[in-house]
Amino acid sequence: MASTIVTFELGGREVEVMVKPMTTLQSVLRNQLGFTATKEGCRQGGCGSCTVLVNGEPMMSCLLPVEDVAGQRVTTLESITPAEGLHPLQRAFLDANAFQCGYCTPGMVMISKALLDHDPAPSDDDIRQALTGNICRCTGYRPIVRAVQAAAEAMSDDAGEQAR
Amino acid sequence: MTVKSYFLPRSLPEALRLLQLHGPELLVMAGGTVAMPLINEGISLPEAVMGLRLAGLDRLDRTDGTLRIGATATLTQMLDQDAVPMLREAARNTASWSIRNMGTVGGNLFTPPPGGDVAVALLALDASVTLAGARGERVLPLGDFFTGFMTNELAADELLVEIQVPIRSEPTAYMKFGRKHANTPAVVTVAVRIEWHEDRVADARIALGAVGPYPIRARQAERLLVGTGLDADAIAAAAVAATQGCEPFTDGIATDWYRRKMVSLFVGRALEQLAPGAGAEGR
Ligand SMILES: Cc1cc2nc3c(=O)[nH]c(=O)nc-3n(C[C@H](O)[C@H](O)[C@H](O)COP(=O)(O)OP(=O)(O)OC[C@H]3O[C@@H](n4cnc5c(N)ncnc54)[C@H](O)[C@@H]3O)c2cc1C
Repeated sequence: MASTIVTFELGGREVEVMVKPMTTLQSVLRNQLGFTATKEGCRQGGCGSCTVLVNGEPMMSCLLPVEDVAGQRVTTLESITPAEGLHPLQRAFLDANAFQCGYCTPGMVMISKALLDHDPAPSDDDIRQALTGNICRCTGYRPIVRAVQAAAEAMSDDAGEQAR
Repeated sequence: MTVKSYFLPRSLPEALRLLQLHGPELLVMAGGTVAMPLINEGISLPEAVMGLRLAGLDRLDRTDGTLRIGATATLTQMLDQDAVPMLREAARNTASWSIRNMGTVGGNLFTPPPGGDVAVALLALDASVTLAGARGERVLPLGDFFTGFMTNELAADELLVEIQVPIRSEPTAYMKFGRKHANTPAVVTVAVRIEWHEDRVADARIALGAVGPYPIRARQAERLLVGTGLDADAIAAAAVAATQGCEPFTDGIATDWYRRKMVSLFVGRALEQLAPGAGAEGR
């Protein structure tokens, strides 16, 4: 079983890993790089807890051979968490009690990040549509939708302030 | 994981060469949203896999009234195009955002029922498929591609490379009925296209998903509609006739009995959307 070397960009840094054929990005992140925010849930693409962004677009890292992202830009929760404090989405999830056990949260935050990058002012319906592939068994989703809405407002206020 | 080699060809010729070299033992994968779950679960244990993600087969081209869809174009690419509105509607009703970013249009033709929601639309749109092999390419109507449950016309040394869809302005209707609003397997999927000649139906396509071994056409219902004005009686007759020839099955989503009932109901509703005065032109 010949191992290969795969290089990709992770949170603005180039990383290089030696992998067995078709190791998933999820496994590389967690088991080889120690980036454990990305969770291992169903490994069927059905729960969203492994959601990461590839070139800014959400994908399920459990279904993605790492070879497929060679040379691409991967973003995980670690990449968007500032050195000090929290990303506005993290802050909003905390303030809105948008999690209990927290297992779905990294995936929820990443897909919400992708949504706000595409559409800084989504409607509740847009948020629900975007999040349909991410399962939460604790909250009943309402606090999550509220958190994304609140983060959108906070981020547009920030942007407004910076523009001033 | 038993995979000993994973190939990522950068072109179609390279992919065909690899296929020739390794034969039917080589598992082909496009977006991986069907193949990878089976591998992760240990249900599928391939030793050699070829991924098509980098093979350059994901182009969308609009030429002479035809939308040419590269086999590995993603479901998200279907959402982003406006040449064929029904394909946008079908993609919107398929899986979730992340899965649509990975899953391909070509892969959808290989997805067993109750999957294949885009394939159902393609069938109603009179799509054709191009299969390429070492001996060259051949084009066949999508209706001839499917041969049985998880079987099709693709030979072991061939790849699906393109799907062609005629761009037409006729109104279409697409309805997927599931147990949830989104990201849910179909109880039944219905795709309808009506060709009018003045105020009469000149031709009709009614394609059904999740009620047979592969996407099928309700030909008896289609025939009944021709020559009518798509009035309430014609719609009612077609809705009943649509259950003929379908082979609904029982799974965790619905029973065969329920699926059969829903075929009539949703064929009726889809036709109503297209009836004169429904105001649903060009959906
Ligand atoms: C959570 C989840 C939800 C889903 N929901 C839906 C849904 O609502 N509706 C629906 O229809 N589907 C659904 N699917 C199934 C799937 O995502 C789609 O059918 C998708 O279009 C499959 O494409 P793919 O490229 O990922 O397939 P792959 O897994 O890459 O391919 C599957 C098989 O098809 C064959 N194949 C694919 N492309 C080619 C080619 N170009 N040439 C030769 N052979 C090829 C190969 O044998 C391959 O192993 C869902 C999947 C998941 C994980």
